[in-house]
Amino acid sequence: MHLTNNLNIMKKQLIILVILISSVSVFGQDKFIAKNAYISFYSSTPLEDILGESNEAVTILDATKGEVVFQALMTTFHFKRALMEEHFNENYMESSKFPKAKFKGIIEGFNKDMLKAPVANIKITGQLNVHGVEKTITVPGTIGMEAGRLVATAKFKVTPEEYGIVIPSLVRDKIGKEMEITVKDNYVPFGQ
Amino acid sequence: MKRNYYILIGLFILFFSGNVYSQDLDALLDAQTKPTVDYATASFKASRIINGHSVEQMKKKQLDFRISHRFGTLNDGAYGLYGLDRSNIHFSLEYGLTDWLMLGVGRGSLNKIYDSFAKFKLYRQSSGEKNMPVSISYLTSIEINSMKFDTTRIQLTPTTFAPRVNYFSSRLTYVNQLLIARKFNDNFSFQLSPTFIHRNLTKTALDKNDIFAMGFGARYKLSKRLSLNAEYFYTLNPNAKVMETRYYNSASIGIDIETGGHVFQIMLTNSQGMREGSFIPQTTDSWLKSGIHLGFNISRVFAFNK
Repeated sequence: MHLTNNLNIMKKQLIILVILISSVSVFGQDKFIAKNAYISFYSSTPLEDILGESNEAVTILDATKGEVVFQALMTTFHFKRALMEEHFNENYMESSKFPKAKFKGIIEGFNKDMLKAPVANIKITGQLNVHGVEKTITVPGTIGMEAGRLVATAKFKVTPEEYGIVIPSLVRDKIGKEMEITVKDNYVPFGQ
Repeated sequence: MKRNYYILIGLFILFFSGNVYSQDLDALLDAQTKPTVDYATASFKASRIINGHSVEQMKKKQLDFRISHRFGTLNDGAYGLYGLDRSNIHFSLEYGLTDWLMLGVGRGSLNKIYDSFAKFKLYRQSSGEKNMPVSISYLTSIEINSMKFDTTRIQLTPTTFAPRVNYFSSRLTYVNQLLIARKFNDNFSFQLSPTFIHRNLTKTALDKNDIFAMGFGARYKLSKRLSLNAEYFYTLNPNAKVMETRYYNSASIGIDIETGGHVFQIMLTNSQGMREGSFIPQTTDSWLKSGIHLGFNISRVFAFNK
């Protein structure tokens, strides 16, 4: 009696352990994360170039559906001129009201082999939420293995006005009509 | 009974792990985004509220070139074009050596004063991971009055004089100030500025060498690039009325207009001096007698971190 009881317990523990391990491993294989993803925006005019960069964006790739989420806190963007950073947060992005920018999209024609193949061009369609305004956009990018790492990039243009960011006429000549957004990240399996 | 218990645990784990697996990507993303410390930035538009310092300062390798004017008083009347005929100027260069230390040098035409200061950022108001209700900075400055000494002798009796030695140290005024500010919301910020001023030599023996004052400053943003500012310095131990000269507390109201790299500050104030050693203990005009000066500060920032 005593022995069977012990056996029973061990069996249960084993089952629990198997479930735990399998759930973790399934989880690990299907999701990839980049915690220090790079994102920049760049505007160029004859009067002034503006470059804001962040190395603290976070993105997760779900390899079951080819779904990508990307999030950057506005206050992690840094500029060469301290005043630009202040104006970026205070006057344009209103970072205290809208602390983050977010993109959620699906890689077009995704299959899992794309993650093991060399870097290739892709298109991602999804919702970009900036300054509290959400727009559906399709952006060109790349994804694939580069030097043994899963690398993804994207480069696209947005106009501030589309996202309700008002640029006064006084500084209109210094800020480009379009902002070029560049994204680069190295994905690692989730949980590592 | 025990069996049921283990099945329950097993089911729970199954359910839980399944739940994690199908967890919304958004929630996962939020869980992975590091908690941040949110520092209050731009409590004020410029390094001055009006006359006095604000808790703002130049960041590393940023240079602020400031030009300020205070005109004569409104009670100069039409003959003096309400003060515009008289003007005194102050200009200064102020540089961020680090994000927490700013050094500045300047020269004002009133009493031909050269000044230098250092401003230290001690605490930054923050929320999120780290909570700090106020920003605190410390300002220390030395002002050098470069006017010619008005006398080289001391009157002992109506007819006898002794020679007076004029020391360089007699020209010096020291200012120590704590700047304690809170940005209550995007629009409203308030600052307290407890101040201690020591003057090595005063104009008369009745003037005090040590002056204690409390500054009150506030700004309210009318729009993203326009704010309304007010400032008042209450002198705790004001000078007695000396001869015909009476001293008043400094009170000012103004607006800040921000245009990219410039901040224009336009104000009405009863103080003519633009440095602490002047406007806190030596304001001689009164709002009640229309002793009001129109003035402006222009700030132009240059970045050297290319």
